[in-house]
Amino acid sequence: MIKNVLLVDDDSEMLHALKEGFKKYQESFAVVLAEDGLQALERLKSNLISLVVTDLKMPHMDGFELLAHIMVHYPDIPVIIITGYSTPEMEQLAREGGAVGYIAKPFLIENLARQILTTLRKESEGGTLHNVSSGMFLQLIEMEQKTCTIRLEDKTSHKKGILFFNEGELFDARVNNMQGKAAAIEIFSWDAVNLSIQNGCALKENKIQSDLQALILEAMRQKDEDQPEEVPEGVMEQMEQGEEAPADLLKKLKERIENQIGQQCGLEDLYQDEFWDNRVAQLSKTGEFFHFGRLMLAYIDKGDTNDYILIPGGKTTVITVDPKCPRDKILRVISE
Amino acid sequence: MTDMRKLFKDILSTKGVKGIMLFSFSGDLIFKEFISPVNGEPGQRDWRFFIESLEDMRETDLVFEKGRIYIRKTEMGYLVVLMALFVPIAMIRLNCDILLPAIRQSKPDRGFGRFFKKK
Repeated sequence: MIKNVLLVDDDSEMLHALKEGFKKYQESFAVVLAEDGLQALERLKSNLISLVVTDLKMPHMDGFELLAHIMVHYPDIPVIIITGYSTPEMEQLAREGGAVGYIAKPFLIENLARQILTTLRKESEGGTLHNVSSGMFLQLIEMEQKTCTIRLEDKTSHKKGILFFNEGELFDARVNNMQGKAAAIEIFSWDAVNLSIQNGCALKENKIQSDLQALILEAMRQKDEDQPEEVPEGVMEQMEQGEEAPADLLKKLKERIENQIGQQCGLEDLYQDEFWDNRVAQLSKTGEFFHFGRLMLAYIDKGDTNDYILIPGGKTTVITVDPKCPRDKILRVISE
Repeated sequence: MTDMRKLFKDILSTKGVKGIMLFSFSGDLIFKEFISPVNGEPGQRDWRFFIESLEDMRETDLVFEKGRIYIRKTEMGYLVVLMALFVPIAMIRLNCDILLPAIRQSKPDRGFGRFFKKK
């Protein structure tokens, strides 16, 4: 798993020199750049950062403020200070603030790289695993009551996340902009992951307060719900794409319903009618508002002698059916 | 509101149901309760066009790619149930059949009683 190192310095030449110099270490870590503390906070939100290397004197938010922020919000991320205005007092302040390293400018890129590599190695001191199911592995951690920090990468989306365990209890999780329960559920929905284990957990407070099993189940449930029903391209798709469905397409659909359900399907008529277009558009918008995706079908009971099944398209396709028809079966056949 | 919540308890506790909204015939949102977070703020949306599009419909079942919306006309307005695709719609319909008379009873009082406090 390639780790991300965030380099923060308002001297853009320095930043780019470091980026160039670190190219030969690209198999061990990648660099993310920020020109001040505020930009660094944005990068921390959107990337899973393993280590921060920061200058002290910067506009907007200086290195000490950034260090303090990291210690509170990302206590798992080690920080190395680089500065051109080094004094023993400053070094003492940085160390007391939680920095794991302090390097005065000018320095050799190799020296900084060595310190970065040594620090990063601690991230996987507990071992690394490839292609494992996160749910199963994490239940083991719970059973063994381990205290550790686990960094994971989803093999499919390449998203990276981090989990904090204290004596087998899940204390917190982080992925992209998410934190806590939501982040844990997102991580548990990943089918196959690569992960590295670091012994120890920088968090002392349980921010999740929830049973691991319950979170894993919730992740599975949400994943099932988000799975769109796969509808193979069929008569319905052809109707939706075309301005007007040819008579033989309508005939095919009618035959399919009658063949699969039988004569008792209650199908009365099948035609296209612009009268419904505006209504269908309004109903579609409601689904979009709730992020339900495209409207596939609508079943309408107006209390008339017939009920209506609508298929959205260039022109709305209308199927009139007997109100006593097996409506769920018909809807299923049409969607197949 | 507590009564409404009680009224819709069975529907809301069906696995996969995401929420319920009750609209007046003029498109005002009378009641809403969501089990899982939904996109946007339904209370802020202008629902008039949606409600107008339901005119003269007694029951509507909308099947979307990633969810289903069941709409039932009541004496107070339209009851809208948001759910996942796997929810057995027959169960929701049945629950609605059962609670429709109760919605009728919970209609606002039309007599003088509505102006005065009960002893």
